[in-house]
Amino acid sequence: MNGFEYIGKNIGKIDAMALATGQPLFTDDISFPNILHIKILYSPHAHAIIEDIDTSEAEKIPRVKLILTYKNTPQVLHTTAGQGWPEPSPYDTCMFNKKVRYVGDRVAAVAAETEEIAYEALKHIKVNYKKLPAVFDPEKAMKEGAPVIHDEEGISGVYNPKRNIVSHIEVKAGDIEKGFEESDVVVEDTFEMQYAQHCPIEPHATITYLDEYGRLVIRTSTQVPFHVRRIVAQVLEIPVQNIRVIKPRIGGGFGVKQEIILEEISAFVTLKTSRPARLVYTREEEFVSSRTRHPMKVTVKIGAKKNGIFNAIKMYALSNNGAYGTHGLTVTSNTGSKTLPLYNKAPNIEFIADVAYTNLPVAGAYRGYGATQGYAALEQVVDEIAEKLGMDPAEIRKINHIKAGETSPIFKALGEGREGVTQYIQSEATDKLLELGTKEIGWYKKIRKPVEDATKVRGIGMALLMQGSGIPLIDMGAATIKLNEDGSFNVLYGGTDIGTGLDTVVAQIVSETLGVKPEQIIVYAADTDITPFDKGAYASSGTFISGGAVYNTALKVREQILEVTKEIFGEFDTKDFILKDGFVISEKSGKKVSLSEIAYQTLYLKKQQQIMATNSFVSDSSPPPFAAHFVEIEVDKETGIITPIKYVAAVDCGVAINPELAKGQIIGSIVNGIGYALTEEYKFSQTGKLINSNFMEYRIPSSRDIPDIKTILVETYEPKGPYGAKSVAEININGPIPAIGNALYNALGIRIHKLPYTPEKVLEALKNKGA
Amino acid sequence: MKVHYKINGEEKEFDIQPGELLLDVLRRNNYTEIKGNCYLGTCGACAVLINEVAKATCTTLAAQVNNAEIITIKGIGTISEPHLLQKAFVEKGAVQCGFCTPGTIISAYALLKNNLDPTEEDIKRSIDGNLCRCTGYVQQIEAIKYAIKLLKGGK
Amino acid sequence: MLKLKEVGQCFYPNTIEEAAKLLKESGEDTRIVGGGLHLTAFPNPAIKTLIFLNNLKLNYIKEIDGKISIGATTTISELANSAEMNGYLKGNVKKLLQSIASELLRNQITMGGSVAQREPYSDIATILIVLNVQAVLNDGEKEIKTPISDFYKSNFRATLKKSVIKEVLLEKFDSTYKFGMKRFTRNATDIPLLNFGILAQVNEDIIKNVSIVVGARPGPAERFAQAEEFLKDKTLSKELAEEFGKFVEENVDVAGDIRVGKEYRAHIAGIFAKRILNEFMEE
Repeated sequence: MNGFEYIGKNIGKIDAMALATGQPLFTDDISFPNILHIKILYSPHAHAIIEDIDTSEAEKIPRVKLILTYKNTPQVLHTTAGQGWPEPSPYDTCMFNKKVRYVGDRVAAVAAETEEIAYEALKHIKVNYKKLPAVFDPEKAMKEGAPVIHDEEGISGVYNPKRNIVSHIEVKAGDIEKGFEESDVVVEDTFEMQYAQHCPIEPHATITYLDEYGRLVIRTSTQVPFHVRRIVAQVLEIPVQNIRVIKPRIGGGFGVKQEIILEEISAFVTLKTSRPARLVYTREEEFVSSRTRHPMKVTVKIGAKKNGIFNAIKMYALSNNGAYGTHGLTVTSNTGSKTLPLYNKAPNIEFIADVAYTNLPVAGAYRGYGATQGYAALEQVVDEIAEKLGMDPAEIRKINHIKAGETSPIFKALGEGREGVTQYIQSEATDKLLELGTKEIGWYKKIRKPVEDATKVRGIGMALLMQGSGIPLIDMGAATIKLNEDGSFNVLYGGTDIGTGLDTVVAQIVSETLGVKPEQIIVYAADTDITPFDKGAYASSGTFISGGAVYNTALKVREQILEVTKEIFGEFDTKDFILKDGFVISEKSGKKVSLSEIAYQTLYLKKQQQIMATNSFVSDSSPPPFAAHFVEIEVDKETGIITPIKYVAAVDCGVAINPELAKGQIIGSIVNGIGYALTEEYKFSQTGKLINSNFMEYRIPSSRDIPDIKTILVETYEPKGPYGAKSVAEININGPIPAIGNALYNALGIRIHKLPYTPEKVLEALKNKGA
Repeated sequence: MKVHYKINGEEKEFDIQPGELLLDVLRRNNYTEIKGNCYLGTCGACAVLINEVAKATCTTLAAQVNNAEIITIKGIGTISEPHLLQKAFVEKGAVQCGFCTPGTIISAYALLKNNLDPTEEDIKRSIDGNLCRCTGYVQQIEAIKYAIKLLKGGK
Repeated sequence: MLKLKEVGQCFYPNTIEEAAKLLKESGEDTRIVGGGLHLTAFPNPAIKTLIFLNNLKLNYIKEIDGKISIGATTTISELANSAEMNGYLKGNVKKLLQSIASELLRNQITMGGSVAQREPYSDIATILIVLNVQAVLNDGEKEIKTPISDFYKSNFRATLKKSVIKEVLLEKFDSTYKFGMKRFTRNATDIPLLNFGILAQVNEDIIKNVSIVVGARPGPAERFAQAEEFLKDKTLSKELAEEFGKFVEENVDVAGDIRVGKEYRAHIAGIFAKRILNEFMEE
């Protein structure tokens, strides 16, 4: 990138050294005197009514201070989804319900002076359950006669509770049946994606306490501090002003912490006992009782003309939300809204989706947010149709993908709970992604000529992807920036760095705009008392929305500085002034004044004011990043083991404000996606209990499981983003399943329809093929 | 019962229950730089050096390592005086959320103490017990290679 | 999180005899602590007494009387990194040891612990059985030496209530001996879902003195006598390897569990069997 001092530079993350030296930065790294430890009692049944709970024995245990059940907690129906108000998720749960809906659902909580005592007390809580029949299959759940999971009074936002349907989505453009009739070639296929978990290395953790003034403070590992504040206020029926939420460093989120699941319990304990309280999930609780990926069955049908141009695309998604409907509508909307616009040449589109309740762990937001499941199916069907047409898979994508200046009816038709927003692509270099990616993987040397060596066969596959940058006309961030005596700036913004490096990107944006080094930027974020609002870390909105707000704010501060400078220089055309190296310089006269001097003058001497501005940013579009992924795998025909050898990701995220951080996002998502493709899955007992709720049995990739990964950043300039930036956080997790699935077909001519691609399934598919 | 350790060069004595895990004892006594909670030895965020060997504190009984020398990440380098390994991790983008970082650096440190010429396989093996969900390991491996360069006096 | 709440006493005996005596005297809910992995990862809340072996200095690897003696508290890492393993059976044991589990666990899992726990998914158990090691125990008064297969066939858990494992003795095999072992895992640091090891003396392509062990079946590792019978006195060849693979697949004693199915276990055992023989031919 030309002409920038700080944009496009690999500045080390501003919190990295503190993290690398073990500073106490995470939620549970600080303790308070007299703190109470909270432990939760979970349901052993997948579906049951709590006929009675007797906590009297448990209460007698010394040093047990409070026991919570549905009997003594506010019965306020709400959603746990950390989304903008009004949340497009059902209000279908209270803090504690009178019914349990999955093995691992909450029944009671004990607050005691030690963890051991809290655990002990759990054992003495007597619960009378009336077991109900349970349903674990989303298709069965939607049929007449299936057990009704949400039959309580007063729930809202559920499409058809009697049929366990959280949401039903239908979006059409053109005439789909005619579209298929007109097509020369039609292919349809179905893929089933499994339960998976984010596995942040830091589990959910919340600490609450009353400050010196008796105000409730919530210190929590969250992606959504402002939504936490609002929803806790709602659930505990207290005013928002009585709550302060502080987000410390977060040990990974990936979507699982876009949820309000511990804060209300801990806050309630603190309010009732006036004591600090602590609630930290064990790894098992993180697997069972937090949130997961939505298991989904996605059917894609594509009709194309002889020349390869798509004429009709139909997608049906059946999504399993588990026992509660959080993120149900929006994740499944994204399954279509982030995938179908990619191939905008097809005038006939249909997207239909059902989101079902089942008596299983609850799905929520997970990096990719429905697009992952959509691409898993779409990108494989694209390969299938390419094969039918005798076309190269890279070529068919090249002629079908959306280009700069173009739009898709899906942008408007499919929003997130509300209508979407029409947008025209302003930044795109997909052909370049295809060119560089195919070159790097050796596509034309290797495609359709799998290398065989007796037992091991190699194949290559690809996937083309797009995502979004924030949710248009919904996501908003804001920031305040103020100048200090030494020319440094405080940046107070609501944006939520969950390890991604957003605070650093923000510092770079301010540095560039105000002409100071990042070391002179003090970033303080995500404290609901001190920083302005931000919707939080989700929807790939950090750089674009939160960064956009910071950029807008920096521009205002710049104006103020230049205004003051006018008098200092005696020159009145600010267009001649530049900010560089902590100075304002007149390009016309060469006059210089330091920001420090300006600060001293304005704080103490003349026409005193605090140079400071607050600004917000909401976007009218969600400029998509694009990515082309290529993977070379080796499959052992005898054992069925798939080994990714080389993975290439060519990514257009606009201008990468910090390329090393962008690279980290790309690689991290790819490795997570590889786990999702090959080894990660939930295993349940017949009664709906999660059996493999630990790292021994739920296999995520280690350092020994990674292929050779090459990232190629292709820069475009997005006019709507700060310094041309788009997002990069989610898109790349969507590549591995389809790329590996396509590579498997290239290698062995088999396609597996149920994820993950285990060795057993590979051998099964080979057997069925008659190999 | 009482246990004695030398932690980061300082003699320490703690009161423990005999069945307690080292992770809990240390965090309880303000060594919050030790993370993790899988309690199966599988995530690696709780790793420290015990008598120069990297071990998971969540599967180590506090009583078992009585009188041991323990080094946590703060014994390797502090924010005011970081070790070259920590500098390398910061520079090479190997620190994202940072939760796995102390444990990973402990493992890398143990490797480099014994071997300044590891192969790529050796490096991957040394940190294979430190799960990371953020970085995908590539930049961590690059950081370790860079640290080797720095330790050998290069730039 | 304190799971071992009942532990009241910790002993640090100075000799192995002392350790064994304490074990016998302290009663039912007493545990010898080797690496401590099993004790802490799968804690039994009833345990009252712990006997630590720290002072016994049982982490050694040395040659005694032409055998390699590996002390009970020697960890997988220590063994893998030892000079003795460099050339042992052409370095194939070392390579395998380095791939087991993950570094932190390799630094903690001990020989003695592995022998005592006999976890079904233990690679160490498979290795020790296939190499026909001798387990050496001390019951407080005397030393007991027993081949590990016999040890496992006996009521070894009862024995371990009154004796302490001191070391295992490894044969030094001459260059006519070949060793191969393969493991099926879901990814690199996983427990094995099936492991298969062969130690064979091969003289001019004729197989003698073969021991074959299958572990993580999901049952614990055992000698596969039928397969040993099959290979005895046969001549190494590609055809034999094929045949052997099929034989193993058809006859191996495996079952399915939530991790992987029976058919796959049997199949991969057969593939491993074939491949190990093929590798023997290449050596």
